[in-house]
Amino acid sequence: MGNLGQSLKLDTLLVHGGSAPGPSGATKPPIVQASAFAYDTAEELEDIFRGRAVGQVYTRIGNPTLESLEKRLTVVEDGISTILTASGMAAITTAVMAIVRAGDEILSSSSLFGGTYSLFKDTLGNFGVKTRFVDPTDLDALAAGISAATRLIFVESIGNPKMDVPDLAAIAAIAKQHGIPLLVDATVSTPYLARAKYLGADVVIHSTSKYINGTANSIGGAIVDCGTFNWQSEKFPHFEPYFKKYRNFAFSARVRKLIHKDLGACAAPFNAFLNGEGLETLALRMERHCANALKLATFLKGHEKVGWVNYPGLPDSPYFAVANRQFNGRFGGLLTFGLKDRASAFRVINALKLAKNLANIGDTKTLVIHPASTICADYTAEVKALMGVSEELVRVSTGIEDAEDIIADFAAALDQL
Amino acid sequence: MNLTVNGKSATIEAQGNVSVLQLLDLLNVSQKEYVTVELNGDILDRESFAASPVQDGDTVEFLYFMGGGAL
Ligand SMILES: Cc1ncc(COP(=O)(O)O)c(C=O)c1O
Repeated sequence: MGNLGQSLKLDTLLVHGGSAPGPSGATKPPIVQASAFAYDTAEELEDIFRGRAVGQVYTRIGNPTLESLEKRLTVVEDGISTILTASGMAAITTAVMAIVRAGDEILSSSSLFGGTYSLFKDTLGNFGVKTRFVDPTDLDALAAGISAATRLIFVESIGNPKMDVPDLAAIAAIAKQHGIPLLVDATVSTPYLARAKYLGADVVIHSTSKYINGTANSIGGAIVDCGTFNWQSEKFPHFEPYFKKYRNFAFSARVRKLIHKDLGACAAPFNAFLNGEGLETLALRMERHCANALKLATFLKGHEKVGWVNYPGLPDSPYFAVANRQFNGRFGGLLTFGLKDRASAFRVINALKLAKNLANIGDTKTLVIHPASTICADYTAEVKALMGVSEELVRVSTGIEDAEDIIADFAAALDQL
Repeated sequence: MNLTVNGKSATIEAQGNVSVLQLLDLLNVSQKEYVTVELNGDILDRESFAASPVQDGDTVEFLYFMGGGAL
């Protein structure tokens, strides 16, 4: 059987794309639970270390089970190469640290997952990398945020938990104009809503822990190199040796051979296997996540005790037009809504029976959280406002249960107010 | 045609001109989609594989970024 090309539709690529038969014709990749790989001769291992031959060396750098999912994600995202990491945060850290050096600047969306915000603000800030945070839906502010030191633009395709939807093609145009890459965290949109490359992303990042895994059984991350950015630039002299030797793989090579190898945040083979299992059913689950989220958002919107609902699929959402255009009428599984205050938010969360109160998204189960007191508790009021987190806000990751049961659960909980 | 491939001599049976792209198949080079090719000391752009001829006596190196440590 030959390779399956890009002529196939996404739903088919998710099932078949990039897959190779396992041992004895197994339809699953083997879980190679091994740390290191032996060779008969010193010459063979030397050739691999020199890059003259391909082969596995050590699981921190690569592993057949990881490679299987890396190839599948590369095909699904229509990229040139993928590197799996231990978590979504590891993917962001690794990708960004491959690009920036002390003294450089990141231009980032202010609407971010909390971990990404503190990575940029505090962790990288302490190493001399400055981040400017800008509203990603304000293109003028974005353009004005670029300085001579800016080395990348970072946005989430759908902001978690702000639920804003930036115009990725317009942001990509700004990045291109300034000769810097656009990194898109597409965790919330997933390839099902859009292949971020087609909207202008140069590097796509996923927390595979979420929708790709789908059933919340393992953490993981992925960095997809779209192969669209020209790293031969005076802004990126540190890419020169990689460009000279690996051309359009310069970014992948710098990540794999230097940053990922040194940071060491590699994926575990078993987790990679489970995340790969999830990828096969992504389209089917996302279809239901999207449908249920729209139904729940519409119900909440019409409920007298609910102050507001933020879901890009509601026609009166300020993000509806952009989301509708770039995600082809799909809006994802995440939404937020507002009650009167923190106390009423807590009462509703405590009264929910089906929905689980926990810090995650993208599970088959419906999940809720009160971000202001949990995942965003450490942030100042000013930063919370920037992220769109208020005291009365509840975030919902709509599951794939029957929509009527989800709505009944929220209806009963709201009755407690 | 005699070549030096990754430091070793190699003979390929071919009629007429052979491009770098064809050489990848003739030598059954693994993971073709990820390989970088150095022809007589020059790294080739992937787009030029099809248009780059290989000649008797050429030195060819195949390079991969996925493996071990050193650059
Ligand atoms: C949008 C987004 N990016 C990144 C992450 C981090 O991923 P992980 O938990 O796999 O490190 C998360 C969630 O945790 C997320 O929601």
